[in-house]
Amino acid sequence: MSRPGGRTVSLRDRMLLASIALAAIVVGVFVATILAVSAARTATKQEARSKNLSVQALRLEKLVFDVENGVRGYAFTRDPRFLDPYDKARDALPAQQKTFTALAEDQPLQARRARDIDSNITTYIDDFTEPVVKFSNRRAAELAWDSEGRRQAALIHRRFAQFILAENILSANRERSADSKSEHAIELGVVGLTGSAILILLFAIYLARGIARPVREAAAGAGQVAGGDLSIRLSQKGPGEVGELTKSFNEMATRLEATHSELEEQNAQLRESERLKSDLVNTVSHELRTPLSGVLGFTKLLLTREFDAETRRHYLGIVDAQARRLSDLLDDFLDVRRIEEGRFERARELVDMATLLEEEAQLYRQQSPKHEVAIEIDHPPLAVIGNPDRLRQVIGNLISNAIKYSPQGGVVAVSADRENGSVRVEVRDEGMGIPLTQQSKIFTKFFRGDAAASGITGTGLGLAVSRDIVESHGGRIGFTSAEGKGTTFFVELPGANGVKDRQGHDDDQS
Amino acid sequence: MERRKTILICDDEPALRELIRASMDDGYEFAEASDGVIAMQLAQEVDPDVVILDLMLPRLSGLEVLARLNEDERLRNVPVLVITAWNETREDVLAAGADDFVTKPFDPEDLRSAVNRLVAA
Repeated sequence: MSRPGGRTVSLRDRMLLASIALAAIVVGVFVATILAVSAARTATKQEARSKNLSVQALRLEKLVFDVENGVRGYAFTRDPRFLDPYDKARDALPAQQKTFTALAEDQPLQARRARDIDSNITTYIDDFTEPVVKFSNRRAAELAWDSEGRRQAALIHRRFAQFILAENILSANRERSADSKSEHAIELGVVGLTGSAILILLFAIYLARGIARPVREAAAGAGQVAGGDLSIRLSQKGPGEVGELTKSFNEMATRLEATHSELEEQNAQLRESERLKSDLVNTVSHELRTPLSGVLGFTKLLLTREFDAETRRHYLGIVDAQARRLSDLLDDFLDVRRIEEGRFERARELVDMATLLEEEAQLYRQQSPKHEVAIEIDHPPLAVIGNPDRLRQVIGNLISNAIKYSPQGGVVAVSADRENGSVRVEVRDEGMGIPLTQQSKIFTKFFRGDAAASGITGTGLGLAVSRDIVESHGGRIGFTSAEGKGTTFFVELPGANGVKDRQGHDDDQS
Repeated sequence: MERRKTILICDDEPALRELIRASMDDGYEFAEASDGVIAMQLAQEVDPDVVILDLMLPRLSGLEVLARLNEDERLRNVPVLVITAWNETREDVLAAGADDFVTKPFDPEDLRSAVNRLVAA
């Protein structure tokens, strides 16, 4: 995930933050639970203290009762036996009073009540019981006791009753509070622990899904790539470095795949070129051996047997023709080398295509008695600028092909005319035609289609060389063909007289 | 006097047909075919004593001619000498039904004696 600034939070930081957050939550839950437990404990303690306070109050009241009873008995009877419990109570009173008031301190209202009780007791003792005990004026003592003493004792008892009632209510409240606080603590503990457990679980799931799974997928993907399947891509999800990992992985796979297919393509091209070369070796072998047989065979005959002069001359003529054929073949191969190395003769002169066509037609007419080489030239002369030997090679190649690919014989029609400032030459045959599937390949070097199987001789170089020659003259070469009906090749060259429209030759049929 | 032996020469190259003719001893009749279809027609017509067959023939290949000759009841026993520019082994061509074999470029003397052997056999 990226932030507005485009920076990504690193995986390490994410882990650290998540761990810290988790730890903080767990600690918070723990602290809250401890606080709740301690509050519950405090409430319980207060409750216990409250109970203790009630007990102390009752104990103090009993001492007051003892004082009261003792002083009353003594006042009536003057019997010193009554002074015994009185003295004991009197002795115990101050300590008990202190204990009582100290215990009552933590609750302001009760503390005030306790202090009131405390001072009432002190006043009662000082002002009434002590004088009764000390002075012998019985009557006065009796009277004093009967009126004021009773009143004060009653007040003290009333206050005690009030105090204990209040303390009981307080105690009940505290008990309730302690109960609710401990319940609260338990609830908090349970909820907090459950929450923490769920958070830890979520964290683990996040680790597993966000990190472990993409990493596992990347590992599996790498395995597949190692096994050769380069089409594998990972889903680019995953935080921080994991997302970068899958992204880089996909980029790597894409690049590998591209390189791989590039290599395969090059490999296929190499294989194709190897195949063509091996075809070439066979072709060369056949194409060279046939004329070589003529040369060697007739030479051997001439050397070993006697012939009359005319026969000898005839045989020598054949040897000469066959040797020339060998030489032409070598030229063809050398032309290919020249084309490949990009060096063709640039010597140009004015050439009349009409004359050139006549001469070539005449040459091939002699070579194939089965074919009628017809020629039709409408507007001689047809001047072009070019290399006459190369142009002759092109025309010779087209006529020779027309003858070769119409083995039944028939008409080979050569025609030429001006067209839009160009000179257009056509060579038409009535032969086998070029199958549609091969039409795109016939200008490819060494491509011979079904020619080898049909026993048609050739190197598969003629058209490739011709096209290079025509294009180096700024012209173009093409054909129309119908399988079984024949083929028409055309060559267009920029005309030399009346050069008006050099581009005009582009809008023709092909 | 028995009739003159006839040799059927099948080769698309006129110069080689002439060379083969010139290489032979006197006293043979010749029939010449420039492609495989003509070769089969002539074989039926002239009932040759020997066939000299270039494997690389237009229209009907030499191997095809060889196979058809072997299928023909009447022509099956006519000896066939194969001429090839390719690098087939002797065994391959003999297995295809040929009786003998020369490779281009061939020595006219070898061809002559091979044909004589086939005629005599």
